[in-house]
Amino acid sequence: MATYSLYLKDNIGNEYERKNKYLLDLARLDEKISQETDKEKKIALQKERKSLVSNKKKHPHNVKLEEFRKKEDEFLRSVKAEESGYEKTLPTSLDSQVKDLKTRRFHHGKRMDFYKGYSELTYEADFKYRESKIHVEQIPEIIEFIEGIEADLAQAMEEKENIDPKEDSRMKEDLKSFKKEAKEKRDQEIQKVKERRKEGVISSKAETNAIKELKREYKNQVRLQEYKIPSVENKDFIRSKKRELRNGVRRSEKILKADVADTRRKIPVEYEKNSPTVAYLTPLVPGMGQLINGQKRKAMFFFLATLFIYLIAIPYALGYGNYQGEGISGLISLAEGGARVHKSLIFMIEGIVAIFLLLIALGLYYASFRDVLNTERDMIKGIRPSNWFETKRTIFQEGFPYVTSFPAMLVIVFIVLVPVITTLLLSFTNMNPQNQSKFAWIGIENYKLIALGEGLAGSVFWLIFIWTVIWTLVATTLAILLGFFLALLVNNDRIKGKKFFRTIYILPWAVPAFITIMFFSIMVAPGGVITEILNSLFNSRIEIKNDTTLTRTALILIQAWLGSAYVFLLTTGVLQAIPGDLYEAAEIDGASSFEKLRRITVPLVLFQIAPLLVTQYTFNFNNFSVIFLFNSGGPFDPQRYGNLAGSSDLLISYVYKLALVNQYQAIAAAITIFISLGVMFFAFLGFRRSKGFREGRL
Amino acid sequence: MTLFGGKKKKDKGLYLSDKPPLTVAGIIGIVTSYTILFAWVVAIVWPLFQMVVSAFNGQQQQYIMGNENFEFSLRHFEFLYNETYYLTWVKNTLFIAISTALLTIVMVSFTGYAYSRYRFKGRKASLMAIMLIQTIPTFAGITAFFTMHSIVSSVIPAFSRQMMLILIYAGPAIASNTFILKGYIDSVSTELDDAAKIDGCSNFDIYRIIIMPIARPMLTIIALWSFIGPFMDYLLAKVLLTSPSTYTLAVGLFTLVSDFRTMNQPAFAAGGLLTAIPIVIMFMVLQKQLVSGLTSGSVKG
Amino acid sequence: MKVIMKNLGKKYEGRENFTLRNIDLEIDDQDFCVILGPSGCGKTTLLRMIAGLNSITEGDLYFDDRRVNTIPPKDRDIAMVFQSYALYPHMTVYDNMSFSLVMRKERKKIIDERVKEAAQLLQIEDYLYAKPADISGGQRQRVALGRAIVRKPSVFLMDEPLSNLDAKLREHMRVELVRLHKSLGTTSIYVTHDQTEAMTMATKIILLDGGKIQQVGKPEEFYNKPENIFVARFIGSPTINIIRGKYRDGKFVSETDTITLTPSKEDAELLKDYEGKGISIGIRPERFESGGEFGDTFEATIDVIEMLGKEKTLYARLKDGSDLVISTPGHYDYKEGETHTFGFDINAIHYFESETGERINR
Repeated sequence: MATYSLYLKDNIGNEYERKNKYLLDLARLDEKISQETDKEKKIALQKERKSLVSNKKKHPHNVKLEEFRKKEDEFLRSVKAEESGYEKTLPTSLDSQVKDLKTRRFHHGKRMDFYKGYSELTYEADFKYRESKIHVEQIPEIIEFIEGIEADLAQAMEEKENIDPKEDSRMKEDLKSFKKEAKEKRDQEIQKVKERRKEGVISSKAETNAIKELKREYKNQVRLQEYKIPSVENKDFIRSKKRELRNGVRRSEKILKADVADTRRKIPVEYEKNSPTVAYLTPLVPGMGQLINGQKRKAMFFFLATLFIYLIAIPYALGYGNYQGEGISGLISLAEGGARVHKSLIFMIEGIVAIFLLLIALGLYYASFRDVLNTERDMIKGIRPSNWFETKRTIFQEGFPYVTSFPAMLVIVFIVLVPVITTLLLSFTNMNPQNQSKFAWIGIENYKLIALGEGLAGSVFWLIFIWTVIWTLVATTLAILLGFFLALLVNNDRIKGKKFFRTIYILPWAVPAFITIMFFSIMVAPGGVITEILNSLFNSRIEIKNDTTLTRTALILIQAWLGSAYVFLLTTGVLQAIPGDLYEAAEIDGASSFEKLRRITVPLVLFQIAPLLVTQYTFNFNNFSVIFLFNSGGPFDPQRYGNLAGSSDLLISYVYKLALVNQYQAIAAAITIFISLGVMFFAFLGFRRSKGFREGRL
Repeated sequence: MTLFGGKKKKDKGLYLSDKPPLTVAGIIGIVTSYTILFAWVVAIVWPLFQMVVSAFNGQQQQYIMGNENFEFSLRHFEFLYNETYYLTWVKNTLFIAISTALLTIVMVSFTGYAYSRYRFKGRKASLMAIMLIQTIPTFAGITAFFTMHSIVSSVIPAFSRQMMLILIYAGPAIASNTFILKGYIDSVSTELDDAAKIDGCSNFDIYRIIIMPIARPMLTIIALWSFIGPFMDYLLAKVLLTSPSTYTLAVGLFTLVSDFRTMNQPAFAAGGLLTAIPIVIMFMVLQKQLVSGLTSGSVKG
Repeated sequence: MKVIMKNLGKKYEGRENFTLRNIDLEIDDQDFCVILGPSGCGKTTLLRMIAGLNSITEGDLYFDDRRVNTIPPKDRDIAMVFQSYALYPHMTVYDNMSFSLVMRKERKKIIDERVKEAAQLLQIEDYLYAKPADISGGQRQRVALGRAIVRKPSVFLMDEPLSNLDAKLREHMRVELVRLHKSLGTTSIYVTHDQTEAMTMATKIILLDGGKIQQVGKPEEFYNKPENIFVARFIGSPTINIIRGKYRDGKFVSETDTITLTPSKEDAELLKDYEGKGISIGIRPERFESGGEFGDTFEATIDVIEMLGKEKTLYARLKDGSDLVISTPGHYDYKEGETHTFGFDINAIHYFESETGERINR
């Protein structure tokens, strides 16, 4: 059985004495019970407690409390009447805003007087007393403020009437001529600046800055002249006063609410409840708990969550509103035995979406439950639940990141996660040319096929895998060495024409790769330029694209051609940033050029660009473009590679052929998962080594 | 002993260079270097030159041969303009590239700011999750993309394949660029936020008036990278776009080279040239920014 | 405007202890109040609470008689100068200075007047349209000040604004700030760890350590009547000499008996109750006497002499190996390695309880 604590606490840990004497007695008994070791005395105490509880209504405090409640009801009824009476006494010419404020002040004045008498009895009265006191103190200030500004406005309106139109239009004319003069002067100054630039006295940056400054100054001067015109000044004055009024009132109201919120934190609550029952009773209806605890507007938000859960998430999971699928059960059945139009893939995808929706729903349940639980636990301790003002403030302060990242998260989940999970699940099915529109679960059969190298698709897997690995290592390393080497050469102090070389060397990177790859493909075709040149050089009739080894060599060379430019660029950038001091110090220490290279240049550069180099390897592992666009992954070699793959295919182009050309989606999915895991693993390794991660500065 | 002692600088016979005078070995080294460098220049320029010449060579037929018989003509360009969907492809690619870039920077500006400036529950966890998601290769989901589009477009008919493609490009871009932008904003002192608060800014004001303008260089780089991505991609565009009038440049130009029915290699050369020029210019002009964006992102993690 | 803090406390979420507790302070109108203390003592936190950038956990903050705990920073009528100046890098100097007024949608005429006024006062009119990156550190600091002045606030808050400047500039700006304060007459609250700044600029100093107030008062009081050993050590350069010992038979005897000191009559009155107890004495380096007959004396060997021109600082060693710092006029003749006899100016001795560090003599 839950007990009562002797003292009430607030969020900082300050303690307050209980005002509810009934609960206080219970608390004292609870304490004695917990400290009592003698069994008999304990039972006696517990009996005493029980009788106290059953005689609740007769406890003197509770009697007084009943009285108070009755008086309160009376008061609340009568105060309404008094309010309307008071309102009628206010002059009708009065501003409606001021009228409203005066009525509020009156209302709170009455409340203050009433609750003052009971503030010793219960914290509720104490709180209401203080709350009204704040209103009584601050509202008159607001009224004064409003009246002050209105007086200013009235005066300004009067002045408006008194503006001499002739004087006004004369000044407007003056403004025009002023503008002309100032503009001329400005342009003159600008000319001067441009001349100084031509003479080379100042830099081009200084020129742009100076011109900007002159333009700004001109604008400013004109604007100031504008404000000398009485009608313009007057209008501006009125406008800013009106704004001041609006903002000032809004600000004061906010401060009022903030002060009340502050008081809420300082005056504890006393409840008879001592266990968070509401939370445990209402987890399935987000919002209900908040409503019961008195947080009405917060409840509305959570009710939206309830609507989402019961109108969208759950029905969808059960199959309603699906395009073709049956929600979660669709995942299992995969449209087996369904209509002709029903596609298993759609069932699967919809099933996955359903799962995500359910996950979101679970998250919402949990969030609401925790919220109610925490509020109740706090209430038991004595902490007052937050009102809407406080909640809103928290949302705006701390909710900003959630709200703004939400759309991005949505995109990421649906664009990245759903397809990947689809692929994962597909790998456990048998989607192939015979089972296109309907397929079934077959467990890890596909993986077995690949691993053992069997079956139509699986037999070539390992062959292709080995070529992929060789390709990755050779092509990337070659590109890196080439790019690095060239960068070093160009960066040498004694080499002239650096800009020329650097511009040309990044061309392979700048020209879109697909264009150059396709063109290389053309040039090595029979009759193409390169083929002809090679033929005349070696006096042969080579057909590069029909020979496996030649194709592979060509691919590696092309990729080196493409990739080295990128490495060149990176290396050059880093090389330029190495301080010359290092080399000078090494020279003093007696290092030769080669040693300087080995011990300073290489380590520094590599360290800086290592993570990017790792991405080059992963990029080439999945470099679809160069393989496919050059020779469609060919040449064909049915003996070794069957009919599905070519001899220069990488795993990724093989996957493409399997899935999109030959409709062996399931096996393609299995291979995809295999590749993806590998890529993710290496990328993750790369991340771990990157600086930011290591320093823990996430 | 030096060989070229006094002749290094022709200034009254004074040797003015800070570097020690060249030895024979040094000279050989320099000559070799220049040779290699120029050889590589040729290796780069020659193929590109071939492409340019072929595009203008009226003698070229469907299959490109050597350019010994050169006759200047613009007929390949005319072909491109009149007989193919080239201009449509350009339009499509631009539409997709610009949309991707816009979508990415809008979303990334919010997420980067949120992760940098706020400490909220689940921040670390979701950041780690994004890091991992970044590493998932996009093609891992190709089988699903097509079908997903069918599902969504049955509900919202206006949702075209190109829009799906934009989302597919933007998704991973948002994930990875959030980090980079976050790192960049981290380097902006929080005292600026404090000063802005005292000056009267709300949270959103701080985002809009203070942080975003300062982050503009980084955002520009991110926009550029997300703009360039769609230009360079073949695989995803090929998977999703099925009718020739919706192709992007990569897919469209490939049909001029691969498919017998539409083979016209010189037209491809022409198209490739036209496409390459603006991009090359852009790369040249912005290379410094692009590279600094890469290295700062990776070094700072 | 007066700033009154009643029982102010700050506790960060997730931390065990309060960072600041029981802060009761009154800062008068037009005061130049310096909050001084070593790193981590809570002074910046206190300043930020006054600014409204950090929330107040307990206690009340009043500006004049208005409770401002819940008022957001922009409505507190304050202006703040940050250590790194926090100038908006993408805006011109003019825009930086006018920003707060623009946010308040003040009239353009007024904005321009105020900005030009402040620029004139701080002599930065020449680069009103330049960007922060294009001007020097000293100029940036003045822009930061200008930004604060333009608001015409009731309270200036400054968080170590001079720490990023070089020594000469810092000296110059110290005087400038004081002049500015005198001409504007605004209450200023200035945070620093540099006691020179505090001593030269403040009308009132608050010394904090470990989240608690050590002493409040005028600079002279800090120097001449430090309330505890921490304060005595913190203020004054070179640092005060503190010697531990006991009070026996009406005399102070140091722990190793190397120094004996007979207190003055007034001090002896107050020390009566400390017979047999542990006390420490504090002597400023310039209050030793030499070259003559003075009651209690001791011998010290000079290790290192710092020649400063108008004075010499002697780092001396006593017989028991402990160190003392002695300041003498520059024209006195001392050489390293010499042993001399020194006496005390008994009216300049500070007595402290060894255990609590609290001051004994008033």
